[in-house]
Amino acid sequence: MSEKKTGHIAQGLAAATCSLLGTSATLPVLAQEQPDWEFDTALLYYGEDGDRVQDLSLNLLAKRLFPDDKILSVGLAVDSLTGATPSGAVPQDELQTFTRPSGESVYPVAAGELPLDDTFLDTRYALTASWQQPLGRDYAGTAGISFSTEYDYTHAGANFSLSRDFNKRNTTVSLGLALARDDLNPVGGAPLPLAPMSDVGDLSGRGGSESKDVVDLLLGVTQVINEKFLVQFNYSLSDASGYLNDPYKILSVVDPVSGDAIDRTPAPGFEGPLHEYRFESRPDKRTKHSLFGQGKYYLGGKVLDVSYRYMTDDWGIDSHTLDTKLFLPLGDTRYIEPHIRFYTQSEADFYRVSLLDGEPLPQFASADYRLGNFDAITAGLKYGWRSSSGRDFAVRLEYYRQEGEVPPDQRVGSQDRSSLYPGLDAIILNFSYGFGM
Amino acid sequence: MVTTRRLGFMCMLIMVTGTACTSMGVEPWERDVLAKEQMHLVTDPIEASIDDHIYFSKEASSGGRGFGGGGCGCN
Repeated sequence: MSEKKTGHIAQGLAAATCSLLGTSATLPVLAQEQPDWEFDTALLYYGEDGDRVQDLSLNLLAKRLFPDDKILSVGLAVDSLTGATPSGAVPQDELQTFTRPSGESVYPVAAGELPLDDTFLDTRYALTASWQQPLGRDYAGTAGISFSTEYDYTHAGANFSLSRDFNKRNTTVSLGLALARDDLNPVGGAPLPLAPMSDVGDLSGRGGSESKDVVDLLLGVTQVINEKFLVQFNYSLSDASGYLNDPYKILSVVDPVSGDAIDRTPAPGFEGPLHEYRFESRPDKRTKHSLFGQGKYYLGGKVLDVSYRYMTDDWGIDSHTLDTKLFLPLGDTRYIEPHIRFYTQSEADFYRVSLLDGEPLPQFASADYRLGNFDAITAGLKYGWRSSSGRDFAVRLEYYRQEGEVPPDQRVGSQDRSSLYPGLDAIILNFSYGFGM
Repeated sequence: MVTTRRLGFMCMLIMVTGTACTSMGVEPWERDVLAKEQMHLVTDPIEASIDDHIYFSKEASSGGRGFGGGGCGCN
């Protein structure tokens, strides 16, 4: 890999600022070699096992480098999603039938099978743009926008950050703010909280479209320890309010002794669910706090990258993430990078495997496995090379596995015998290509 | 549960660490290693964005390094 020398204070600022937003300010090479444009592209395949979610996506990032260390970045991503995701209903020893979110038909789930909602087919388009520049001698700022759309969801956001250097650029303090407004227009209308799943054609438990607002605040410090060691610490606050439910997630209503789902008979002449289910309900506010630390250490050509994040929120979820990568050069133009990530989270206060028949409905309840108690591991390897014309190629293959457990005191009757936490096994395959001009 | 007071203390710690590290670091002419691509805090922004999105969709946490994911109907 060719060395890129920095000449300007602002380039270091830009690097620190960019790092806040998860982007990398690629420091320009010596003046006569500096490309005006840098393009990065990536093709991703994400696939879960069984009939679960698969995603194929194309990502593009273009950076235009201007004089005086100003940078314009534009990104585009297109995701094509297919497959199915657990609906939150519990497997039963008999056939189950569910009304589709549209309310227009039903779909069956065989005895013993995990109920999956296959209305996950979608294409998502996302656009981001940002501008960064020095502000005076010691400051740098960025401003950016983000936008994404899929058939039942739209996101629009803006972000800003300001950073200041101290101590000959060895210390950088940054402050960032992001605002987002997301609009949801679920198929069939957003279900009312804990509304029962009803027969085909009956949308009485449905509302219309909904929205949510998210404010993110980030405070960070980047510190050079010595010529080979760099660390970063961030504190983030995220506040979401509005419609925070997943409109397609449900809970089974079960007998408190046997654990079997309660039977239901559709209205005469109508198709509908054969058991009782209710749509989930989450609070309309969520506040998250995160503490993040990262260190990068250079070891004679190799680079060790270790990061840790602690997250806690007012839904009762605590999580820990430990992520490690080791960059290993192979000669001058190739490298491999093994990667391992450990993740663990505790369940939300209102996470339930199922609702109990006869008990008063709780205010909040969700069987969404992503709010449950689980551990996850990612292990992967990246191989990259730079061609003689200076183009960068890489291929990355990773395996992601989630394993969770429903607390024993939540399991009822026959539920002891079945595997209640869906878990996850997925492959991540990523090709990337980058060049400057 | 992390109280507001404890978080306030941690913010102060970050700020104080930042301004107190006057003896740590390098001279401008000692930055050759730090300037290498692989020493950037985020070496591959697209890869970081892809991973953030995957984990935001499949887990209950997001962000930390930068602004957290968002912008999709997946969590």
